Amino acid sequence: MAAAAAMATAAAGPEWATKEPCLMGIDEAGRGPVLGPMVYGCMYCARSYHDTLATLSFADSKTLKEEQREELFESLKMNSSIGWEVDVICSKVLSAKMLKRTKVNLNEISHNSAIGLVRKAIDNGVLLTEVYIDTVGDPEKYRVKLTEKFPGIKFVVAKKADSLYPVVSGASIVAKVTRDRALRNWVFDETAQNMHMNTGSGYPGDPNTIQWLKDHKHPVFGFPTLVRFSWGTCTPYFKNGVEVTWESDEVDEDAAGYGSAKRQVTLSSLGFTGFKRKSEEIESSGKGRCKFFQARKLELVRKFQ
Amino acid sequence: MEQATPPAAAGVDLSPAATDLGRVHLLPCGIRHNSAAAVSDYFKPRDTGVEVDGVKVEEAFFRGRNLQGATVALPDGYRGYVLEKKKNEEKDAQGMDEEASNFVSRAEFQNITYWNHDTMPSAEDPLPRSFHWLAIANAMHKPVTAEDMANMSARQNQNS
Repeated sequence: MAAAAAMATAAAGPEWATKEPCLMGIDEAGRGPVLGPMVYGCMYCARSYHDTLATLSFADSKTLKEEQREELFESLKMNSSIGWEVDVICSKVLSAKMLKRTKVNLNEISHNSAIGLVRKAIDNGVLLTEVYIDTVGDPEKYRVKLTEKFPGIKFVVAKKADSLYPVVSGASIVAKVTRDRALRNWVFDETAQNMHMNTGSGYPGDPNTIQWLKDHKHPVFGFPTLVRFSWGTCTPYFKNGVEVTWESDEVDEDAAGYGSAKRQVTLSSLGFTGFKRKSEEIESSGKGRCKFFQARKLELVRKFQ
Repeated sequence: MEQATPPAAAGVDLSPAATDLGRVHLLPCGIRHNSAAAVSDYFKPRDTGVEVDGVKVEEAFFRGRNLQGATVALPDGYRGYVLEKKKNEEKDAQGMDEEASNFVSRAEFQNITYWNHDTMPSAEDPLPRSFHWLAIANAMHKPVTAEDMANMSARQNQNS
């Protein structure tokens, strides 16, 4: 089955966290880019420590330079009053979920990741009372969803939470540093020649990203699995490549009212290359034959052509 | 259903010492491409450790989709071929039937890995089930011997 999102364990329930009421911040890194993992990070501390935390200059993590973030991450890992956790959702898993037969959208993936982090902390015995989180979608709806899952916890869902709440700033450093490292240490699944990691930011406005996509596009396979195939940024590349049609997409098109005009020959009929049929049949189905053949999609090929 | 007509007399040349692929992949999508592709560089199946109906399930990704695959061996006495249509320029000169085509074997295989999109492979999938036909066809087309007939009438006499 689909590779489970990797959960890296930091400290499983520090003792103070099981005795004192704690607050947690959750933030994400790499939600928008066309490549690499999306990382959800959380940071938590005892309520009594929060004033101290606010002095640790975690605020405004996005304005920090990479080296500063690295340093802060190392210092917060050393800080025994702070707990943290990450959920790394790799590009493969993002693409696969968003392109499932029953598609899962990015907001849902994001929500589930945040929920997973809260659940993990609770399972580790952390006495969570408040959670601060950057919103995905409508803040109020998200707050209600989280509150229903965890009735005992007060959720504060806000836009730009990472610049408003020090725990969220800390969480954003955890997430951002983890994503940067994942990209830096990326090992391609693919063994094609001349691949490189000069990816740029992963946004279409970045010339390095565009160059990277051009360097790594493949007419049949699309891209290496580092790329999120479900992103709109990829679409023009697929249009210029070899056409690939999926059964699950046809169902979508039909539902969207495009009708049969757009349907393509699929499945086994093209799985074996090299023959065409008189009429454009949709599936190799054994249509018109007895049930035995239909169930096995065995078609009678009268001639090779 | 139309009456089945025997296949047009297509020439299929299986003689060339073709590459043995070991296995071929059958993907649950249409790929409008009819030539070579860098499959081994981009398509990287991985064992999942899961077994269904005694068959190992593999996982792979193609164009962002997650696929689950199972490998089926061709039955004894059968062999798979990848055929390529021969470019036959002398065709008209020889006055051959236009319907007939000539194929040449480019590769052979003994196993097919078929891939499902988001569904676990099982013995109920059309591909493993399609092999049932081979056993049935063999039974149907086996000549009936005098001995068979004798046995059958003996059994009928017993029953009556």
